[in-house]
Amino acid sequence: MGNIIKTLDVTDSLTGLKDVCDLENGRIAGKIFYDQAIYEQELEKVFARCWLFVAHESQIPNTGDYITTTMGEDEVIVIRQKSGGIKVFLNACPHRGNKVCFAESGSTRGFICNYHGWSFNVEGNLVGQHESGVYEDSNFDKSKWGLKEVAKVDSYKGLVFATFDPEAPTLKEYLGPIAWYMDALFDNQEGGTEFVGGCIRSTYECNWKIAAENFVGDILHAGWTHDSAARAMLGGAVAKVSDFEESYSVNWNGHGYEFALDTVGNVAVLGESALNKYLHTIKPSVAERLGDFRSNMIGSVSSCTIFPNFSFLPGQNTVRVWQPRGPNKMELFTWVVVNKSAPEEVKEKWRKGAMMTFSPTGVFEMDDGENWEYCTKTAKGRVTAQQDLFVGLGMDSLLTETPLPGNVYEGQLNEANSRAFYQYWYDMLNSRSWSEVPNRNVGKPEAE
Amino acid sequence: MTALYDELRPVSAEQHYRITHFLNYEYRLLDDERFDDWLALMHEDIHYWMPGIENRRRENLLEHGFYAADHMAFFDDRLRDLGRRVARFQQPSAWAENPATRNVHQLTNVEVYYGETDGEFIVYSTFQSVRSRGLDEEYVIYGRRQDLIVADGDRFKIKKRLILIPNATLTCKNINTFL
Ligand code: FES
Ligand SMILES: [Fe+2]
Repeated sequence: MGNIIKTLDVTDSLTGLKDVCDLENGRIAGKIFYDQAIYEQELEKVFARCWLFVAHESQIPNTGDYITTTMGEDEVIVIRQKSGGIKVFLNACPHRGNKVCFAESGSTRGFICNYHGWSFNVEGNLVGQHESGVYEDSNFDKSKWGLKEVAKVDSYKGLVFATFDPEAPTLKEYLGPIAWYMDALFDNQEGGTEFVGGCIRSTYECNWKIAAENFVGDILHAGWTHDSAARAMLGGAVAKVSDFEESYSVNWNGHGYEFALDTVGNVAVLGESALNKYLHTIKPSVAERLGDFRSNMIGSVSSCTIFPNFSFLPGQNTVRVWQPRGPNKMELFTWVVVNKSAPEEVKEKWRKGAMMTFSPTGVFEMDDGENWEYCTKTAKGRVTAQQDLFVGLGMDSLLTETPLPGNVYEGQLNEANSRAFYQYWYDMLNSRSWSEVPNRNVGKPEAE
Repeated sequence: MTALYDELRPVSAEQHYRITHFLNYEYRLLDDERFDDWLALMHEDIHYWMPGIENRRRENLLEHGFYAADHMAFFDDRLRDLGRRVARFQQPSAWAENPATRNVHQLTNVEVYYGETDGEFIVYSTFQSVRSRGLDEEYVIYGRRQDLIVADGDRFKIKKRLILIPNATLTCKNINTFL
């Protein structure tokens, strides 16, 4: 089994983390956004361990279709197999480590390394080399030197995830009840979803966590940060979230979904009435499929992050990964998701609408970036980096009597999901293996 | 695809001067944040398009090589969309525009040819956009452009703009300007 990946030796946890991440008291400190030693630990204990989003099934429909991406800072190839399955390989040649696939996507019968000509098939097996005779003279065993395969690959409703850690829980256990809420976007119609072609990538001078946390449960910023964009797109301010009668923050294993039940609050900011209309048209069939409750979430004021760095906005239909590139650098990969069964004009309006709002030229996103960069950069100051930052909204808002699955908190204007996100991050950094990660979930693990 | 010289009909030196002058003027409006005046230079049927650039192998190219009309884009705008972007810049609550971003737009390698119909001109050029914010932030975007300019009385309007950057990953966080 030469193609099986070597796992990392675990290094000791950092001391003093509690000083900069104390969630029982609703406090973090900027050091967690700027410190190199903390970042090194994240690469090992978060990104080399957790399930990470790598592709949507629709991006690689046929045998040999591939995309390349990164898991943490590790480069990987995601490729469709003859069997219909998907494999994920390190994008590094087992000879001297050169990158074997330089393209971001395409279709191929295999990969040939540019350096000494090792060639690999779709299954990742080494099938030939330039000057192959000399290898035979050295009793070389080809079967041991294929591309290294990640420990596990699995998918949920078209979303493909992978993990480097063979001891990771199953994807189903990892997502837990958050999967039930994800269906509001990824499984609201027969046939499921697909990605629009392409991927827009941009570069931020910020820590990845501040962005991931923004989507895990910070709707609080929207009414203020995005006032200008809302006025430009809607001709007025964004909906006042505190006016919603019913809204929730739900989390599990550090993932978080915050949402209202207003059906079209998110989609409305795209300023395309045809999209509001589409959602209203499909809503009765969504109610049949997922129940009334989730039919109110298909494009409502809502956002979600799956720990650590996969996020999406129902309604705007932007899907993204916050790729870590150092403690104070991040690459943002974005895609647009649509229902496969939606009319072409509707898909086209989403392609453009997501660009108009949440992309590097998007009128909403333009206001987020600077905030995230300076939340990171202020922590360059050693003294500043140690100061307490308040994450204490909604400390006593846990709902214990709710029929909803997950750890359910009342209201969206609530930092419960942010706390849960940082708590899980803290727990990962303090655990030497998956079995040491404490279970802090208190809600129902499944929908009733 | 670059047309060969024989197939192109270059305009006179005077016409070249007038159109280059117009495009430089357009860029100066952007540097001065005169967005309404800038918007007024757009034709009512403007298609302002900056596709996303995909790093693909030669045997896996798209409709237009590194980009395709139905793939993701930075801009794929009509007049209404450009108007919305301008409206966002002009809101007093555009917090991230105060202090202002300071812009320098440059246009070079300008070639002007007659278009298919009278009063239409095809302009190829290269551009560089430098933005600075705060005390020390600097963002540079460069690329190639193809414009379709139409005569409008003794002035001009921009009917199509195709903006192509070489980067498959944008080297900065946003494009809070026009190119
Ligand atoms: S590094 Fe790939 S063949 Fe040598
Ligand atoms: Fe935001």
